[in-house]
Amino acid sequence: MLTSKNLVFKSMIALAFIYFFGLMLKITLDYVPISSNVSFLMIKQTEVHSRPEYLPIFYIHVYSSIFALLAGFIAVFFDKNLKYLHRFSGRIYVIVTLLLSSISGIYIGFFANGGWIAKLAFVLLGILWFYSTFRAYAEIRKRNIRQHRFWMWRSFALALSAITLRMWKVILVYLFHPNPMDVYQIIAWLGWVPNLLLVEYLIKKQKP
Amino acid sequence: MKQLSIIFSAIVCTTALVSCKKETTEVTEKLPAKDSVVASQEVHKEMYGVYYGYFSPDETPDDGEYPDEDFVKKISLKINKITKDSVYGQSVLNGNQRPFRGILNENTSSLVLDEPGTDKSDGRFDVKIKGDSIIGSWTAFNQSAVRIKSKTLKLEKKEFVYNPNFMLDKDTDLVDWTSHKTAKVSYGKNDDGSEESYETDQQRYATNAIFTINASKQKLTEKDLKNLPKLDMEIIKNAIFARHGYSFKKETFRQFFNQSAWYVPVSNNVDAELTPLEKENAALLNRFIKYAEDHYDTFGR
Repeated sequence: MLTSKNLVFKSMIALAFIYFFGLMLKITLDYVPISSNVSFLMIKQTEVHSRPEYLPIFYIHVYSSIFALLAGFIAVFFDKNLKYLHRFSGRIYVIVTLLLSSISGIYIGFFANGGWIAKLAFVLLGILWFYSTFRAYAEIRKRNIRQHRFWMWRSFALALSAITLRMWKVILVYLFHPNPMDVYQIIAWLGWVPNLLLVEYLIKKQKP
Repeated sequence: MKQLSIIFSAIVCTTALVSCKKETTEVTEKLPAKDSVVASQEVHKEMYGVYYGYFSPDETPDDGEYPDEDFVKKISLKINKITKDSVYGQSVLNGNQRPFRGILNENTSSLVLDEPGTDKSDGRFDVKIKGDSIIGSWTAFNQSAVRIKSKTLKLEKKEFVYNPNFMLDKDTDLVDWTSHKTAKVSYGKNDDGSEESYETDQQRYATNAIFTINASKQKLTEKDLKNLPKLDMEIIKNAIFARHGYSFKKETFRQFFNQSAWYVPVSNNVDAELTPLEKENAALLNRFIKYAEDHYDTFGR
């Protein structure tokens, strides 16, 4: 009984993720081939022209994060079974996140739209993402599975902000028609803080 | 050596020929020019200029169709040249510019002006000039092709000057009455669970930024535009064109700019008049408008 309920729940989660991952993939493919003024970069020409490193780092973030998202989901989804797949996708997630996605995310966070409020949110998100991923990795090296699990939840909750941030944007724009940067300042925080709170609640619930 | 001298003399000859030819053409060019000046002596230069004002249908067409929102339109008649036997100029209406040619009856100071007749909405203006105003009527050539067969004109002479300092009038209505979508708004649920709703028009609103940002004077940066709604950026961009006397095809911009006394539409193409700064700003604004259009309400940034 419990397992069939679990199965339904799990497949719903998987379907939802596949749907939103498809949307993210579509956004990512807007940046293929590489162009200096496509999509989001249309309003980032100041940075593109004044900082030669901006464009390469931006593209590192865009191209690597889509893999982090997929690998992270597979690793969290198959956390108890399919050990080989869990380890393989987990390694990819940790390597891509630590070396590429989070670091580049912190850099572009410093030049985020929406003033210091948004910048602070994105830089903090990047740092926390790096830290939680690193802690998760360190815990599993020590064979500390329980803590590894919790830190990975935190890490992937932050990774999912890529999706939740954009979801909130659609909702807020639909409801209130705010000016573009006003909504941006809000989603910069709304994208990841509730995710993290939810995960902390789930972790608390796990404690015996 | 011999060859060289041949070449040299050839060059001398050609130069002489060319210069000779030049002189003669100059002479022949001058003569008919003088003639034409005599023949087309310009008269009544005081009537030259732009006349702008209401262009209203004489009667509501009885085809059962509800009239457009801008049923009453504003038209410009531009009189460029009056000679003994002809009047030259153009009419500009909603971004449609038509040349006209006609005659002036000096005794009654009335004008009969004909549009070319190549467009189905071409017609004849039958008007009187009185001081700074033009009053009269317009009749379509092809009565069966148009919805409104005749209209009345009431125009005032307006001076068109380009001034980069012109800004939208402070009292301009910020609501875009021309484009709207209907939305269902719920009253809430009834006791039996059914929902009651009413339909309402949802308008777009511009913000006060349209009174402060001048794309003809200041070099705009991305930072200046990032937080602006699309309508603001469209108005700020089109204010450049309005200052140059552009006649808008889109009703939204006619609505906004018609509220400013300085706005006199005189042309359907002002691209050549834009300053380098205005061109740069228009390109930046276009990029941001495109971004707002594609991304503002979609899943993405």
